[in-house]
Amino acid sequence: MKRLVSLALLAMALPAAPALAQSTATGNVAIDGRVAPVCILGDPNPALVNLGQLSASSGPRTGKIATITPQTVQLPASFCNFAGSVVRVTATALTSSDTSVPQPGFSRAVNYTATATNWAAGASTATTNALRDGTSPTASGLGSTQPLPKIADIALTLSNFTAPGDLILVAGTYNGTVVVTLGPAAVAD
Amino acid sequence: MRMPILLTIPAVLVASPVLAQSATGSVEVDGVVAGRCLFGLPNATISLGEISLPGTGRLDVSKVNGRTATLNAWCNGAAATMTVTTTQLTTPTAAPGGFDNRVDYTGTASVTSGSASDSSLTAGAGTPANVGRFNGDILVTLSAASSPTGGLMVAGAYTGNVLVTLTPVN
Repeated sequence: MKRLVSLALLAMALPAAPALAQSTATGNVAIDGRVAPVCILGDPNPALVNLGQLSASSGPRTGKIATITPQTVQLPASFCNFAGSVVRVTATALTSSDTSVPQPGFSRAVNYTATATNWAAGASTATTNALRDGTSPTASGLGSTQPLPKIADIALTLSNFTAPGDLILVAGTYNGTVVVTLGPAAVAD
Repeated sequence: MRMPILLTIPAVLVASPVLAQSATGSVEVDGVVAGRCLFGLPNATISLGEISLPGTGRLDVSKVNGRTATLNAWCNGAAATMTVTTTQLTTPTAAPGGFDNRVDYTGTASVTSGSASDSSLTAGAGTPANVGRFNGDILVTLSAASSPTGGLMVAGAYTGNVLVTLTPVN
């Protein structure tokens, strides 16, 4: 007699068979980059302030400093991309190109106040205090700290033009400069 | 005279065949290989370096677009899929008006049998792509970098990631 024995081994019938894995696999690509802290000042507009005639040409103040209208220079789109920046203004008095020591009663220097605004709560101000012979012409001042990254048009105003002792100005061409520095408060000094 | 003829028939010619007594047993064996995907190289890093333009302070997209990293994996099922999930590059510092503290981009993962991508501009994962069976590198490429307003980039360290998910659908 022919005997046929069939034994099927079904995986699903085995109680110890592991569950079919359907879990996902993940890979990760980390990306890093950086932005360095930076400040950029906009190009001054105008780059040159021409005050014209500095002395009065008639009347009781003839030869003495005239009333000079405050001048404003814009530094558009100036920015710092980090928190904690400050503006420093360093002003140098206008002095005559004639460098000889003036005679008594004359001055070869014109002082003024330079003020930078629209950056932080407190403006940056410097008032020059040059002597009549043009010595000690430079002054500087810091504004308050800007606590956030900021982009703004910084306004630099030149005002309060005076001559030491209100003396008569010697003839000649006068030049001065204002340097505006925008940078981190921690190293601004 | 009649001669008798004796006809002898060999006995072997008439013997009946012997009946077989063998028995056969059969064992059927089967098993299963589950659909699986596995990363051999699951992690990589793309270091972009400085991502702002020196002159303008705005995003330098050339520092992001085209950057690549390579993972390695396999899937053994014909219906395996791949999905990409991107996370935008960010820095913790807040961005006041005129500034951005985020970089969005598209991440694309490619294998020989297909590719999937996702933009960080939209939440969640991108559309799954069928990649089937493969065994090899996954090339991850960044593209379409942008910042929300095209503004100045806030200073700081920026981090993000591209997550590649392989699903072994059977």
